[in-house]
Amino acid sequence: MAIPLCLRTIEETSLSMWIRDTPSLFGYWFILTIHAIGMTMLVGASAVLDLRLLGVAPDLPITPLKKLYPMMWTGFWVQVISGLLLIIAFPTKAFTNPLFYAKLGLIAFAMVMMARLKKRIFDDSSLNDEGMMIKGRTLAMWSFVCWIGAMVAGRFLAYTFTYLVYPDDASAKLGQFLDFISRL
Amino acid sequence: MGLSLFLIALTARKDYLKKVSLVIFSIVALFAIPAYTSGHAAASLIAAETEAFPEIVETHQGAALMAFLFMQATGAFAWLGLWQFRRDSRPAKWILPAVLFFSVVAAATLALTGNTGGEIRHLEIRPEQETLSFVAAAGTAIFASTQRIVLLPSRWGGTWPILETLHFLGLTLLFATLGLLDLRILGFFKQLPLRPLVRFVPWAIAGFACNLITGMLFFIGMPAFYNYNIDFHLKMFGVVLAGANILLLFCTDAFRECEQLGPNEDAPISAKFLAATSMILVFAVLVLGRYMPFFEESLTPF
Repeated sequence: MAIPLCLRTIEETSLSMWIRDTPSLFGYWFILTIHAIGMTMLVGASAVLDLRLLGVAPDLPITPLKKLYPMMWTGFWVQVISGLLLIIAFPTKAFTNPLFYAKLGLIAFAMVMMARLKKRIFDDSSLNDEGMMIKGRTLAMWSFVCWIGAMVAGRFLAYTFTYLVYPDDASAKLGQFLDFISRL
Repeated sequence: MGLSLFLIALTARKDYLKKVSLVIFSIVALFAIPAYTSGHAAASLIAAETEAFPEIVETHQGAALMAFLFMQATGAFAWLGLWQFRRDSRPAKWILPAVLFFSVVAAATLALTGNTGGEIRHLEIRPEQETLSFVAAAGTAIFASTQRIVLLPSRWGGTWPILETLHFLGLTLLFATLGLLDLRILGFFKQLPLRPLVRFVPWAIAGFACNLITGMLFFIGMPAFYNYNIDFHLKMFGVVLAGANILLLFCTDAFRECEQLGPNEDAPISAKFLAATSMILVFAVLVLGRYMPFFEESLTPF
């Protein structure tokens, strides 16, 4: 299958090359670190709400947990920006891996669940905690599963790719692969 | 020291002394982490530098792994006991005997480790023929077979990525639960009463335990990668500080006061301080962890 040339164009931009190759402390590893911190905010905040709705800490009032949403959205945008920078650094690696699309799909699905959860339980002021738990249980369970799935997919992206960068020819591809393996 | 205090506490039947010795066991288990990893690094340096004594170094490392495992078991049960003291004001009947058993075994294996360790540098006390003790042999065998499993390859990466995924899930669980508790103590999410949030603490500890186990498996899998990595040793130091900080937060009077907090009430300044440092420390550990590959071979002994 032909790989779109635009991926090589992205790789040849100076931003992409800088993120990949800079010896600076604030290049690739910095962006990955930000991506991990954003994850703790986005998935962490979602997970706390999900766990509560699934029955953990039953004495905890649910209504104040609405305040987790700003943290979720902050985390979400941190992830979008740092994720975009990571894609700019290794576009071929990302777009040629089916798992990458699975990860994006799971995140989209989880975010839709969180948004619907907000509408369903927090925007309805007639509900008490018990009612919130009953109405939110299914959404909470599915979003929790999706977050775990997204994290599993994300972690395996580092191990399942076919091309690290745009391949020049078959031997270059093999060389890059061997180089990567030896660095493990 | 912890063991003798624990024995006194058991015979004197003083709950206060029991709690103190359980705290000591937990902290000792935390300190055992960098002690084991840095010891491993030092041993590999000695072996490389002197080009000799591989057998005695191996014996020492085997015994050290056994001591480490028993110390972690002691720490885990001690923590469980502490938690039960807090929740039900008395632990389950089997906890204290379990702590006693593991601490005695840990002390014995530790003595053995110290003994073989002394023999590495002091040639004069080394027997002519070095015989692998049973404990050291067991430790060496566990190390080798664990390493084989951790490095098990497959088309999509093998055991390693599975462990990494668990490491990430564990950290998210820890940050989610501990983070909310810390933020509430600091004054965010003020409408939440604090007492029900304490229910999240076992989840935080589960995340910590998951990461301790997967982390040690990484180390056993590729010790050469971590031994010469300054970032790794800093991270282990950070883990001790963060762990001790969390333990302190839950064991001091500041937290006892915290637990009674209802909605919109302010935590005491000492608890706020501990919550802030715990946030800073866990994030420092996260950052150091993510930067680890950047610092590969940052310690070059030769």
